[in-house]
Amino acid sequence: MTLGTSSRAALYAAAWWLLAARGIAAQTTATVDVGASTVRYDGFLASGAASVTPAATWTRPGATLIARGSYLRFESGHRSLQGLIAASLFTPPALLPDSWRGEVTVSGGGSSYADFASFWHATGEARLHVVGPGRGAWMGATAGRTSYGSAARPVAVAGIGGWARHGWLMLTASASRSFIGDTAYTDVESTADVGAGAWGLHGSVGARISSRGGGHGVYGAGEATRALSQRIALFVSGGRYPTDPVSGSVAGRYLTVGVRIRSPTPRRAPTWDPVQRGRPPAAGDGEATLAPQIEIQPAGARGVRLLVRAPGASSVELAADFTDWHPVVLERVLEEGAWQLLLPVASGLHRLNVRIDGGKWIAPAGTTRSADEFGSEVGIVAVP
Amino acid sequence: MMRARRYAILLSLCLVAPFARAAAQGDPRLERLDEATRPIVVGLIDSARAVGLPVNPLVERALEGAIKGAPGTTIASAVRRLAADLGRARDALGPGASPAELDAGAAALRAGAGPDVLTRLRRARGHRPVTMALAVLTDLVARGVPIDTAAKAVLTLAAKARDEDLVDFRRAVERDIAIGAPPAAAASVRVNAAAREMRPGRP
Repeated sequence: MTLGTSSRAALYAAAWWLLAARGIAAQTTATVDVGASTVRYDGFLASGAASVTPAATWTRPGATLIARGSYLRFESGHRSLQGLIAASLFTPPALLPDSWRGEVTVSGGGSSYADFASFWHATGEARLHVVGPGRGAWMGATAGRTSYGSAARPVAVAGIGGWARHGWLMLTASASRSFIGDTAYTDVESTADVGAGAWGLHGSVGARISSRGGGHGVYGAGEATRALSQRIALFVSGGRYPTDPVSGSVAGRYLTVGVRIRSPTPRRAPTWDPVQRGRPPAAGDGEATLAPQIEIQPAGARGVRLLVRAPGASSVELAADFTDWHPVVLERVLEEGAWQLLLPVASGLHRLNVRIDGGKWIAPAGTTRSADEFGSEVGIVAVP
Repeated sequence: MMRARRYAILLSLCLVAPFARAAAQGDPRLERLDEATRPIVVGLIDSARAVGLPVNPLVERALEGAIKGAPGTTIASAVRRLAADLGRARDALGPGASPAELDAGAAALRAGAGPDVLTRLRRARGHRPVTMALAVLTDLVARGVPIDTAAKAVLTLAAKARDEDLVDFRRAVERDIAIGAPPAAAASVRVNAAAREMRPGRP
């Protein structure tokens, strides 16, 4: 496929997005999704498409700003461009009781399907959240305008929802009633997210009911994400989604395979020391880490099992506050490249380092790595 | 009244310090420090013990510096700073705080939490230990979550959550960060209106 001017512009924008993010505020995160899709909009033939989706999220305590664009080039040569900016502001902690949070969101966006149609929308939403341990609920209302062509229509949406988390599983359920000009419909939807290790699975199922001009039917989507490193993840997603008269997206089916590249994670050191200023970036500062990696597993009455994966190592030692910073040699286990140590470790926050083949003490992946006060890094782990 | 109190503290330090010094010098772990550094660290540990602070975290911090080959002055300043943080943590958590709570509190303060956050956590947890709540708070900050957001999230959970819930919460945030969520958003309300626009792959 020959890249046209628009495609190059989208790629340059995506590259800028990733590069620029390093220099902006510490809490700016940027991602670029690059994917290949097969999509079939209702009433149209199926088509292959390549997509580039840069997104940036700026966060500070109580506020989030998201900017997202999407460029789609279909096999027919037609293009689609979408853009969205959404900002959320949460109420200050002192304004409401501890379990309650208010949120105001403004959102504006536009989309253009080349030679077909253009849309824009601007909405504002207010939500009230109540949050407990592992569960929460919200209710909200949205108002705004949306336009297809030249005629703008009023938007009004009322919604409620709830979520619950149990271990690796998170469930949500929501219902909303929307009025867009003469169109009115009710959506009910539930989602499930499962996360284990580097894997993330997301599924959603919903239905549009009581509809006047907004279509009916059941829809759903699934998505699997596999993090390859701290900055790269693969994803596959597919399903069917309904028409969204607010943003102008047309109902369709899709299957997408892609890669998500993200900017480095901002990292803060829990300790501060003047000697740390000007420290060169340490191994693993927001970069992909290959080895070694530590896992801490409960081992019943024997305490915890510290499992270090260090392929190719001849010896692995660990020193930590719970060993009084005495180097302890780990024993090799049957699994290739794995070493273990069984120790009683008290509940709480602990500091540790590992050393491979008598080299430097390093903070392994699997811990929260922070600058220590001695010119190097220490791994911090929370043991339940 | 104030003068009498000062005299009493001074007198108690004079009485306790010789015994404390003997105890610290008797700690065989400190023999791993070089001869120039050891008396400085022992002095710092004596002072901490005299005012009732836990000394084990201080010994461990010195040993961490020793194993990493840090200069004696750096080790001494790290121990001094930790002692100060332990004192601030005790002021915030109250005199009944356990050594593990003080250690976790010192780390949270060093991460940027204000003493009021520690006090509110203590109040929210009631008679239950705050060690894990503080550990999760510190860990979130080290992962890049702004301290205000991390504190709000942990305080919200602290009243009713078990330690296991707090650890689950930390894992969920860790996973969200790994697959692309900004740290602050990952630790914030998990279903906010803007975040729902971010699902990958939908054309």
